[in-house]
Amino acid sequence: MKRTAIAALLGLGIAGSAMAQSYPAKEIQGVIQWGAGGSTDVVMRAVTPHAEAVLGGKVVMQNVTGGVGAIALNRVADGAADGYTLLMGAENPLLYKVMGLGQKDYSDFTPINIIARGIPIIVARPDAPFNTFPEMIAYIKANPRAVKFGSTGPGGLPSVITAMINAKQPIQVTAVPYDGDGPALTALMGGAIDVMPAVLGAAIENIRAGRMKPIAIMDVAPNAALPNVKPIVETNPEFRQYLPWGPFFGVFVKKGTPADIVAKLQAAYNAGAKNADFQKLMDNRGFLMMNIAGKEADDFLAKWQSTTTWLLQDAGVTKASPAQFNIPKP
Amino acid sequence: MQAVSAFLIPFLDIQLLGLVAAGTFAGIYIGAIPGLSVTMAVSILISFTFAWPVYPALALMIGIFMGGVYGGSRTAILLNIPGAPAAIATGLDGYPMAKKGEAGEAIGITTVMSFFGGCIGIIVLALAAPMVSEFALKFQPRDYMLLAVLGILLVGSLSGESLIKGIFAGAFGILIGTVGLDPLTIADRFTFGFSELRGGISFVAVMIGMFGISEALVQLHDVNKAAVRQQISRIVPSWSTITKYLPLSLRCSGIGVIIGALPGTGGDIAALMAYDHAKRTTKNPEVPFGEGAREGLVAPETANNAAVGGAFIPMMTLGIPGDAVTAIMIGALFIHGLNPGPMLMIDKPDMFWFIVGALTLANVFMLIFGLTGIRFFVKVVETPRSVLIPVIILLSIVGAYAVQSSLVDVYWMLGFGVLGYFMKLYGFQLGPVILGVILSRLLDDNWRRAIISDQESLPMLLKGIVTSPLSLVLFSAVLFILLAPLWRMVKARRAA
Repeated sequence: MKRTAIAALLGLGIAGSAMAQSYPAKEIQGVIQWGAGGSTDVVMRAVTPHAEAVLGGKVVMQNVTGGVGAIALNRVADGAADGYTLLMGAENPLLYKVMGLGQKDYSDFTPINIIARGIPIIVARPDAPFNTFPEMIAYIKANPRAVKFGSTGPGGLPSVITAMINAKQPIQVTAVPYDGDGPALTALMGGAIDVMPAVLGAAIENIRAGRMKPIAIMDVAPNAALPNVKPIVETNPEFRQYLPWGPFFGVFVKKGTPADIVAKLQAAYNAGAKNADFQKLMDNRGFLMMNIAGKEADDFLAKWQSTTTWLLQDAGVTKASPAQFNIPKP
Repeated sequence: MQAVSAFLIPFLDIQLLGLVAAGTFAGIYIGAIPGLSVTMAVSILISFTFAWPVYPALALMIGIFMGGVYGGSRTAILLNIPGAPAAIATGLDGYPMAKKGEAGEAIGITTVMSFFGGCIGIIVLALAAPMVSEFALKFQPRDYMLLAVLGILLVGSLSGESLIKGIFAGAFGILIGTVGLDPLTIADRFTFGFSELRGGISFVAVMIGMFGISEALVQLHDVNKAAVRQQISRIVPSWSTITKYLPLSLRCSGIGVIIGALPGTGGDIAALMAYDHAKRTTKNPEVPFGEGAREGLVAPETANNAAVGGAFIPMMTLGIPGDAVTAIMIGALFIHGLNPGPMLMIDKPDMFWFIVGALTLANVFMLIFGLTGIRFFVKVVETPRSVLIPVIILLSIVGAYAVQSSLVDVYWMLGFGVLGYFMKLYGFQLGPVILGVILSRLLDDNWRRAIISDQESLPMLLKGIVTSPLSLVLFSAVLFILLAPLWRMVKARRAA
């Protein structure tokens, strides 16, 4: 508290530009929304050292978990808008309002960098009685409720993909909830569930080892990592309406942070995301680099929120309509 | 041949040798301080070792892991504050020993037995990893549920004099564990509209409060009483002692490896289950359980260190974390350009053998560091209470804050400390509360997963249980533990 007060006094006394010149004058805190070892954690810990080199300062990262990431988001939102606390998060906050998880989302933040996005893929256990998306739909329709889909709770990637499928091809499946895509994919390998919509990166090594089989890539283009798997739009072009879609990772600061500090951070993370080692790493893991900031990032976030919240609204899993929060219909 | 040379890398490279040693040493102290966890240390190390080559980075992390799991027992024995959840069971008989002046002997047994358990875990990892991981994959939600029920039945072993009070304490623990946003449906549970409660109540804060603060308050009762003089004649247990406990320690290592290898359960549950196993199978302990039974130290310590090797089994064979620490190590492997997954052992067998080698080395260092300096450590127990009590309270506060740098956790810790004090005064054991918190999510989540998977039909779930050999074994174990005391009562009545 005391430190914040001193910083505020300093902020009043010294002009913004002078502050930015000395920025960063102390350690920067990075608050990671998800637990250690998860995708968000790994991406942030991999990109930040490269950004630090450009920034000339130290970013100390900490995992603040709970409340689907809302605890971390609120902690950064409650802090000072001085660029010394970064929110390192994923896509979830854009759904908080409609899911009744909080009153704040990324509109209370300024994006520093939307680093990359994941590509959704539908995988099944190797002995499942279907190999392609149309076959899967036909099988599910013939056997309502018998096929078990893994899920990660309302608002998670599997629930969005399932909502997309339901919007075009109404199906009845049993959704079994897990703590995250890691445990759900483990359950898929053990035969506890039959199908799991996941990010390509989390499933790729298991597909290579033959422990699960790909059903469809939920994207508009094929992926170099799995050249033999067709993108969904080739068999079912009706999904083009929602795609490309995917979870993403980004670094944010509280809205109201001085523009020159934002610019400094944006430059640092831009360089970090351009690092060849980092890009190779992301490629290996099946993530698509985005590296966008400014208006481009704002537009991306707005479009993402509009598509996803209305999809969930139509699927009936939201607690409040996106219309209440002035989220435009796509 | 290639395997042997990869195994020997950490032994022959002086830098790697030093890093494993430094890691193990640091790990023992990180593990011993409540609130500082191995998980935290390893995730900080990821950023710190970012630019290093992969071997040195892993060497340091593995040392910390091995040392940390062992270190938790130190404070459990000396102060009755487990440094980590996996050491809770160790304090049950370790602290009574310290109170009798046998802290040196308690630490000696724990160290040697941790080493033994560590060895078994590593041997299983080296020789049977693919088999064990296929077995671990077989566990369905209903099996995890049955495992959690088995765990809940441990209340019987932890209740002390009154089973009723034990059941109450266990139920209270389960209730604490349910607070927060339900991860499966994201519905609020017992949050009463406070967003601070959405993340749940930090389990470590509850543990530190219940053990640390309540113990300090209890000790205030006789603050002027002189501390017990510690005998330090016997530290390393004799060979005959080790052979005497060999069958028990082998069984408990087995429990540790399996529970450690299951994704979703770790050393904390393994140690408690092993403790329970020891209590049920030891007919006539030299010293009763809860008053300093040696078996009560042997069982949890072999189990939790065996669980370290166990946790690496699914990580190395399938890229699935066996616990929180291996989850971070998988992230570290990825950052260092490797692709953890089922192909890793086939593509990079050297990495597997290097990890086995580093674990072995860390285990040896753990034995060396563990057995040195005991004379100095037991002095802690001899410190006058007027000095010790403030130190315990300070340590508890720092520890609770360190978990998430959150003051809310400190308040929880203090609140549960005071509550724990009154529970102790009224004859409630605190072990069942912690057990309840640990098992709450395992039980709740997997019960719901199991019943949802079976289309919400109880007959289908029961059919699943009786037709799967694994579920049937677990279910029979539950029935046996529940019904055995009833059977004994009936027999006693007939005899009378």
